[in-house]
Amino acid sequence: MITLGFDTSGPWCGAALIVDGDCPAARYEDMTKGQAERLMPMLQEVLAEAGAAWGDLDRIGVGIGPGNFTGVRISVSAARGLALGLGVPAMGVTLLEALAYGTEGPVLACLDARRGQGYFQRFGYGTAEPFLGSLDDLEPEPGLKCIGSLGAEAAAHLGAAHAPALYAPGSAIARIAARRSAAAPERPAPLYLRAADAAPPREAPPVILPETLP
Amino acid sequence: MNDDLTVLGIESSCDDTAAAVLRGREILSSVVMGQAELHAAFGGVVPEIAARAHAEKLDHAVEAALAQAGVELRALDAIAVTAGPGLIGGVLSGVMCAKGLAAATGKPLIGVNHLAGHALTPRLTDGLGFPYLMLLVSGGHCQFLVVRGPEEFTRLGGTIDDAPGEAFDKVAKLLGLAQPGGPVVEAEARRGDPKRFALPRPLLDRPGCDMSFSGLKTAVLRARDALVTEKGGITAQDRADICASFQAAVADVLAEKTRRALALAPGMGALAVAGGVAANGTIRAALETVAAQDRATFVAPPLKLCTDNAAMIAWAGAELFAGGQRDGMDLAARPRWPLDQTSTPMLGGGKRGAKA
Repeated sequence: MITLGFDTSGPWCGAALIVDGDCPAARYEDMTKGQAERLMPMLQEVLAEAGAAWGDLDRIGVGIGPGNFTGVRISVSAARGLALGLGVPAMGVTLLEALAYGTEGPVLACLDARRGQGYFQRFGYGTAEPFLGSLDDLEPEPGLKCIGSLGAEAAAHLGAAHAPALYAPGSAIARIAARRSAAAPERPAPLYLRAADAAPPREAPPVILPETLP
Repeated sequence: MNDDLTVLGIESSCDDTAAAVLRGREILSSVVMGQAELHAAFGGVVPEIAARAHAEKLDHAVEAALAQAGVELRALDAIAVTAGPGLIGGVLSGVMCAKGLAAATGKPLIGVNHLAGHALTPRLTDGLGFPYLMLLVSGGHCQFLVVRGPEEFTRLGGTIDDAPGEAFDKVAKLLGLAQPGGPVVEAEARRGDPKRFALPRPLLDRPGCDMSFSGLKTAVLRARDALVTEKGGITAQDRADICASFQAAVADVLAEKTRRALALAPGMGALAVAGGVAANGTIRAALETVAAQDRATFVAPPLKLCTDNAAMIAWAGAELFAGGQRDGMDLAARPRWPLDQTSTPMLGGGKRGAKA
């Protein structure tokens, strides 16, 4: 089975091809802008390096965040277009799961969400749902490893170990998608965890008076 | 020529997610998924909310357009997508979805300027030949263009500040009416007195066909505030009268500036309008009168092809495809992209570049 995975949910552009559990081609480039221009050529390079064509793909794996809203949408939109065009399933994988992938024991995936907050998800202990919170929302766990861009801070805060992610995002996402059950997956949708910045209008409309008789 | 081309169009530059399939000039399908309800609470389109909706609606819109047209992806000649100008989050989603489809199917990818989509619509609907004068008037744009080819546009003038569509939205907001303002203000104006409030006709005292609508907005605010100061609020009739007076001012300015644009570009056989504001009946009638006086044919596409749609993107894409354009997988999404690339920019600048 051939799975192409990719991710642009942070300041990078990453992709990997997984063929029956092996990874014949992968790319990772640090990138703060230009991901929309770079992503598809990078995917073509990965396919070419492995001697594969678009039509050989059985499955797409795509990073759905949390992370940079625009970056997440770049990959998710491309994945949905590819899935529709190829007639293969696309599977959304969170960046938190990608960070924790392959690490044994209790793991806390930690991403910097700015504004003094982080995106977190516990693996192998506690509740499993990803959430937006602060370091004070975290609790210690014996043998815990903290992984991700906020991993060092979280580890220091909890007195836990700080560990690196074992795989680059694109590579982890491709591997996770390849191992998932293919039974009618939902279309990948961004995982934002944070509401859109939008405020109702400040100014109240004028009072509408009843009509006076002439 | 592009008479037999089958083209998929994709549009997501503001708050409508749209996909359409064209064969030649025949619109096989045109799907428009609006988002009005998502933005209603905020008194205008919120870019991040729009982008979130586009990302999860685009592939559904494409599927629906293909199904309604009874066309399979492999039967397409090209995939056309709005690559700007517009709200960048939505444009990016559209461009990436189109790239995914194009890569998967091996079909040519064509990046289309959203404004060219509007400006070339009269060729789709009426088979209009080049050259013609186009008044492009929408929520974000207002300009007079001489259209000589699918990529050949000369701007004669345009707004130096707001677009009329923005002014309609703002007036609706000032009067406690719903968004988008265009249809609501027009409905109110129907039972109002257009002469009750003496609102300004900005820039009519200056030659040329540049326009300004920002001051008109402020004048409406003053008229409203005067009423509120006088009696603590406004009546429904006051509101209708303000709407009618405002709409009359916009129609007067557009009509007079159109007269001047026709004079600046003699020999144009046709005056065409496009953009959401061209859906306004009073404005349409005023422009029709000006065209008749100048003995120019007046071409106004049906309303659903005046507002944002993907059929116009498919059509513009077909014209560009016929002219040899093919875009690569590095096609960029552009928040700003003036149609007239040679005239001195008149609006916007800095890092993001000129708006018009």
